[in-house]
Amino acid sequence: MVDIEIEIDGKVVHGYSGETVISIADREGIDIPRFCYHKKLSVAANCRMCLVDIEGNPNPQPACSTQSSFGMKVHTKNEKAKTAQKAVMEFLLINHPLDCPICDQGGECELQDVAMEFGSDISRFTEGKRIVDDKEIGALIQTDMTRCIHCTRCVRFGAEVAGIVEMGATGRSEDLKIEPFLSEGIQSELSGNMIDVCPVGALTSKPFRYGVRSWQMNSIQTIARHDLVGSNIFTQTHESKVKRVVARDNENINETWISDRDRFSYQGLNSDNRILIPKIKIKGEWQDTSWDDALDFAANGIKKHAKEGSQIGTLASKNATLEELYLLQKFTRGLGSDNLDYRLDAANPSNAKVLESNISLTELETIDHALIVNSYLRLEQPMINHRIRKATLNGASVSTINAKAFDFNYRISHSVLTSPQNTVATLSGVLKALLDKNSQTLPDYLNSVSVHQTHIDIANALLNAEHPVVVLGEHVNGNKCSDQVATLVSEIAKASEAKTLNASLTGNAHSAERVNFKPENGKNALQILSSDFTAFVLFDVYPTFDCIDSENAIEHLSHDDAFVVAMNSFDDESVLNCANVILPIASFYETSGTHINVDNIAQSYSASVKSAGESKPGWKVIKVLADLLNLQGFDFTDSSQIADKALSLTPNTSEIEVPISNSKMPNITTVWQYTPYASDVVVRHASSLQQTRIGQISEASVCKATAKLLELSEGDLYKGVPVNINESVAEGCVFVHTHLPRQC
Amino acid sequence: MISDQAKKEIDIWVAKYPEGRQSSAVMQALTIVQKENGGSLTNELKQAVADYLEMPTISVQEVATFYENYNNKPVGKHVIRFCHNISCMLNGSDELISYLEEKLDVKTGEISKDGLVSVKRVECLGACVGGPMCQIGDQYYENLTKKGIDEILEGLT
Repeated sequence: MVDIEIEIDGKVVHGYSGETVISIADREGIDIPRFCYHKKLSVAANCRMCLVDIEGNPNPQPACSTQSSFGMKVHTKNEKAKTAQKAVMEFLLINHPLDCPICDQGGECELQDVAMEFGSDISRFTEGKRIVDDKEIGALIQTDMTRCIHCTRCVRFGAEVAGIVEMGATGRSEDLKIEPFLSEGIQSELSGNMIDVCPVGALTSKPFRYGVRSWQMNSIQTIARHDLVGSNIFTQTHESKVKRVVARDNENINETWISDRDRFSYQGLNSDNRILIPKIKIKGEWQDTSWDDALDFAANGIKKHAKEGSQIGTLASKNATLEELYLLQKFTRGLGSDNLDYRLDAANPSNAKVLESNISLTELETIDHALIVNSYLRLEQPMINHRIRKATLNGASVSTINAKAFDFNYRISHSVLTSPQNTVATLSGVLKALLDKNSQTLPDYLNSVSVHQTHIDIANALLNAEHPVVVLGEHVNGNKCSDQVATLVSEIAKASEAKTLNASLTGNAHSAERVNFKPENGKNALQILSSDFTAFVLFDVYPTFDCIDSENAIEHLSHDDAFVVAMNSFDDESVLNCANVILPIASFYETSGTHINVDNIAQSYSASVKSAGESKPGWKVIKVLADLLNLQGFDFTDSSQIADKALSLTPNTSEIEVPISNSKMPNITTVWQYTPYASDVVVRHASSLQQTRIGQISEASVCKATAKLLELSEGDLYKGVPVNINESVAEGCVFVHTHLPRQC
Repeated sequence: MISDQAKKEIDIWVAKYPEGRQSSAVMQALTIVQKENGGSLTNELKQAVADYLEMPTISVQEVATFYENYNNKPVGKHVIRFCHNISCMLNGSDELISYLEEKLDVKTGEISKDGLVSVKRVECLGACVGGPMCQIGDQYYENLTKKGIDEILEGLT
């Protein structure tokens, strides 16, 4: 890259040779109108709106596809450029309807803005306008294809970013249409970004449709909390309701994209299922009550039922904020208990060392090989998967070790199907192959391990790569040998000099780790939920969905002698059954807080809207409860003070060695994965997401041999989920992918 | 969906392109399966071609709707592909197409009631010197007149 100097509108500006004129102009704040150009997409140069005059050129040139060269003199606003831009605008408006007053894009429309500046007041077009049928493309995107100006941004987005080519330009000339092949609904987990890239009102948000005009809303900068990326977003609010969520640029975190989960989950906040008033259970009957009474009831209940602090168990959602997790652990430990945990979905919440992530999101784009272990990354962590996809476009290869062959949006070069009980053996095989190649001495536990050709292939791919990465996903949480799997992943990374990325810490789990929201000597989540503790504190926990052994959990929580304080934002039958008091807390976007992402970046945000009904921010509820129980050190007046305190903590690093052994596991195991739209309570209540193709997924995949052993046939119900017999699943396990609550 | 014979023919075209660029053979593949299916394409066939060439179905659809030589609706036994581009138009193709429509009692893009003939307006077929012209099967008919059309129609069985 050579620095060059060019002149735009008489201003001397710098760029590098080969950089397009529009890109330099954008950086310099010189406005050039455009529709098809998008900084993150390839250059199509088909709308011609960005025509500029370049000295020495007889005709105006499109700024988006013209590369700058030394000494170039560009005029964006002289007579020649303006005439060209006006002419293009006139052509674009020929077939565009004049329906801005009833168009959702009105007020935030690129075409409207540019037409104001370059359009003519009077149309010279007297012929009939073209009308195009609207396409039904699912519950998230509303189409109005008559408004389409064929910029092909959505087509290029599908091909280049989402990796699933769904929209295309069919027909030709006057009959050209932008449409999907069949109206089956868009499949991509990033589809909502098409709404953002569409410069006109052809693709608009369906859940938002006709709700409120764009200029009536406030835009508030905040953070999406569903995954471990913490995408930057704007919540757009009107009359104390979140009406829409759109992406906010942050090159280091989410670039300009957000996942559909982050974009449409806000619908859940406005669901009818919110808890709005504090409730207490008296003689088995629920009563609405005031905050003072409910808090007194909760504090007295804890005092009475947990005479010894160690009789208290505290469980929190991993989507809670850093502040809430910090206060809750301080609260629990202040009462003299070390029984606290956030790993409700873990089959083995051990004290072993947590696999660290030592690669940043931007670095992920530069890797040349990725080994994905135990993860359907595309649906679990869309933005991380997007970075890996970008690396694959630059030539990186990807191999997987999973229970099922998943539908990734890039090619998988080596795939090993492995049931949970064989994961340790498979990873040991890869490690052995790596150490053999390096001529290193083998630790004892690898002596009896057999190495297959696929293990050698993966080892070779890792060793041949200059910047490899190993990604560990969330299926590991359900594995009884999760600590061994994590240890082996770490050893494999060491032997191949690979970076690691721990994608099993979903939601805001990094915050929970930071404040040590897990026991050092006390009981972990599984033990708490099988204990005979007399008091439990649940923070936004919904046992039927969240707990790995939900039946057992509910049974122990419903124990006659147990006093359960539940702080919840949504109504839930299992909570109603087991709790004694329910304190309604603010949900996403209703409370200030902090999210720590996979890069260890702590992002704080303020509340976008006030809490629903009488619910209150979680940190305030915990603080008042602590005050009522005379606990010291809760004199915070602002959540930022709590965040400062919490961020000054360092997580306990465990040095516990995990022996690799042939642990006894059942012959047939279940891998339970929720659809991305059932991953937390807010998104489960987002009705539009539930209607999408991803949201509707519900199948228990099993291979023929295993199906025979389990006596299952196609269409039977396995743990409430319809069975689908296919050979893409590892032998010895059932892969359940569903939006339905977990059954044991 | 695609017969073994058709697959063999497609493979010949796939082999002409570098490895991994098999989607370049999409036009020939569509031509082959269209011929086998009696002159038209169905969504299922396009899906099958996309699967066979490992490319997105919408990309096949883009090709199939862009070029006039693919029929996305069922056609008659004979397709009269009538040029309506500039040379033919100046020489009266519009009038002849109307004559044809009237005579066969069929609109362009539709099949005659006996299923024998369908008429399609197409872009330039490169025979401007002999306009107005049309193509039926592999045969060009040039310097057409109403009388000439009558004779051609009589010959179609």
